Amino acid sequence: MSLDELCQLVSTGKTDESTALVEKLIGEGIDALEIISTLTDAMGEVGERFSRLEIFLPEMMLAGDAMAAAVDTCRSKLLEGEAPKTKGKVILGTVKGDLHEIGKNIVKLMLEANGFEVKDIGYDVDSLVFIKAAQEMDADFIAASSLMTTTLPHQKEIIDLLKGQSLRDKFKVVVGGAPTTQEWADEIGADLYCYDAGSAPKQMAALLNG
Amino acid sequence: MTTAYRLWEIQERSNTGPLMDENDFLPKLFTPKLQEITKKYEIESDLSNPVPVDDDMADRIWKAGWELFREVGLYNTDTHRIIQVSDDEIKEALYMHRGQYWVGAGKDAVLWKHRQVEDTEPPFCIFSGDATCDESMHFSQCLAYLKEPLLDGFCAPILEDSMGQKIRSASPFEINGCTQHIYNLRQAAKQTGRPGTFFVAVGTAEHDSGQIAVSNNEWGVRTTDTRIIGTLTEFKTADTLLNRVVHCAQYGCYSGNLTGPIYGGWCGGSEGVAVALVAYSLNGLCIYGSIFNQHFPFHLNWGSNTTRELLWPISMAGQAMARNSKLLYTSNGFANAGPMTEMLFYETACHALVSTVTGWDLWEMASTRNKYRNRATPLEARIAAEVGHAVARQGMKREQANEIANKLLAKYEDQAATAPMGSQYQECYDVEKAIPTTEHLDMFYKVKDEIADMGVAFLY
Repeated sequence: MSLDELCQLVSTGKTDESTALVEKLIGEGIDALEIISTLTDAMGEVGERFSRLEIFLPEMMLAGDAMAAAVDTCRSKLLEGEAPKTKGKVILGTVKGDLHEIGKNIVKLMLEANGFEVKDIGYDVDSLVFIKAAQEMDADFIAASSLMTTTLPHQKEIIDLLKGQSLRDKFKVVVGGAPTTQEWADEIGADLYCYDAGSAPKQMAALLNG
Repeated sequence: MTTAYRLWEIQERSNTGPLMDENDFLPKLFTPKLQEITKKYEIESDLSNPVPVDDDMADRIWKAGWELFREVGLYNTDTHRIIQVSDDEIKEALYMHRGQYWVGAGKDAVLWKHRQVEDTEPPFCIFSGDATCDESMHFSQCLAYLKEPLLDGFCAPILEDSMGQKIRSASPFEINGCTQHIYNLRQAAKQTGRPGTFFVAVGTAEHDSGQIAVSNNEWGVRTTDTRIIGTLTEFKTADTLLNRVVHCAQYGCYSGNLTGPIYGGWCGGSEGVAVALVAYSLNGLCIYGSIFNQHFPFHLNWGSNTTRELLWPISMAGQAMARNSKLLYTSNGFANAGPMTEMLFYETACHALVSTVTGWDLWEMASTRNKYRNRATPLEARIAAEVGHAVARQGMKREQANEIANKLLAKYEDQAATAPMGSQYQECYDVEKAIPTTEHLDMFYKVKDEIADMGVAFLY
């Protein structure tokens, strides 16, 4: 049994087998951080396949669950002071008044698959709650989704509240969702507009590192 | 309301139905059940044929959709309970649906009737761009759509601003926007001489408060009009939506259930979308008491439904419902390309042709993936309605529809991901007169001639 086989198990959503194999590999002396790094690459490929709809959301979700379980097992084996690297910490939610969440959930999957740490605060989320959650997490990003034109103003409200609290420079604000556009992101002063979930990880990593 | 006799028994199930964590509903109940049922009924797609001729599979899809709805139900996100309906209640509701309803008022009233596969009666045509527009363009766009001859019903563009102020859902600004929306609509209908036109209104209201505020038989949304009540994707509802169900029933207007199952999402592929469309229709009938269902299945990446991954389930679900019920259901087109592009006309014609021949009524046409302000015009809806009337009147069979659909797909399907955005309303319409520009009309007639050469016998 090898790391390649572990990647295969995770990619096909086999949670129990994946965690069992992680235990075995660590027992054989494989470094937990190396396992996490390898799995992150494998999940990136799963995410690419999902972006092309070679697999669908349920398969992607299963792979994500298997990945999360495998990483949790690795984390429990890490020595004190060791920590897997994340590409960035993200507070993610759908804005107030908006009950849609499927797009937001796919963004979460894609970000986690690509090594981001994501805290999903759900849908119909008050703008202040986004900010408080970001402060608690010490997040790099506030990512706000909206599916309706009449809830778009809440994306702007988040930015206005950040400015009002002198916190605007502390977080990168990312907006997305069906009615959002680059023009809207520019108009409200967002740091990034993501057209779709598939492009989010690369764009957000570039923004943080740029 | 088709199931008003059960209104409170069904509403009560939001409080008494099985309890479930919302995070478990889709991955642990909906998708596994859909996969199991799709396999059980041996539903397999062949995307090379966007209009299959397979009555047996259509009937299996009907049974599968019924079973899915009965087994999964509708999840209320506010109470975390599942509203479930029994087989007997589904049968009762199907019997109680009349199969035809008079909608609209006075001389503009229209009888909306159930259609069959390959029906020679034209589809009921609801015109709608589904798009938002500038406040200054709203009245002109209402006029422009209401000038369309084949319009049976109209859903006006959506306002983002009212009196120069941004409309925010559930706020006073939304109520104000809804008031402006319906006044523009009523005035436009009166000035175009169609005051009793059947409205689907008001699209500006995302929240129940906005909808309820404009119910008024003198100046607002009348009891001869309809509201649209959404189902959250997939198979979820909320109290703000159920509030509309109760309001429509007690106010006495019609309602339609709006659904958008996603290809690539929790439904999986084309087979799952087809089954979900049937199940959603039963949900609209039994739980929302709607007289019609308004479906816009769409592609996860593109947000459109004019490619074969979506045409197949549209076609099969239409046949399933046409053969096994007397329900009313509109096929809501979502195109990739924008206005005044040949691609948009091809996409729209294909969507309308496939839908009409397989038993649907039409709701056309959202362009540019329903994403951009001012990017929808009545002219693409016109080509849809003209195609719909033509293929019905000529008695087009599924085999020929399949052949023409493949020819139309060849015109655009390789550009689905890179479709042109086209023009804005004010760039291809004379805003004051609310009529298309010469350039726009020339393109319309050029594409119409090409489609006629493929075998569509336009009536004029």
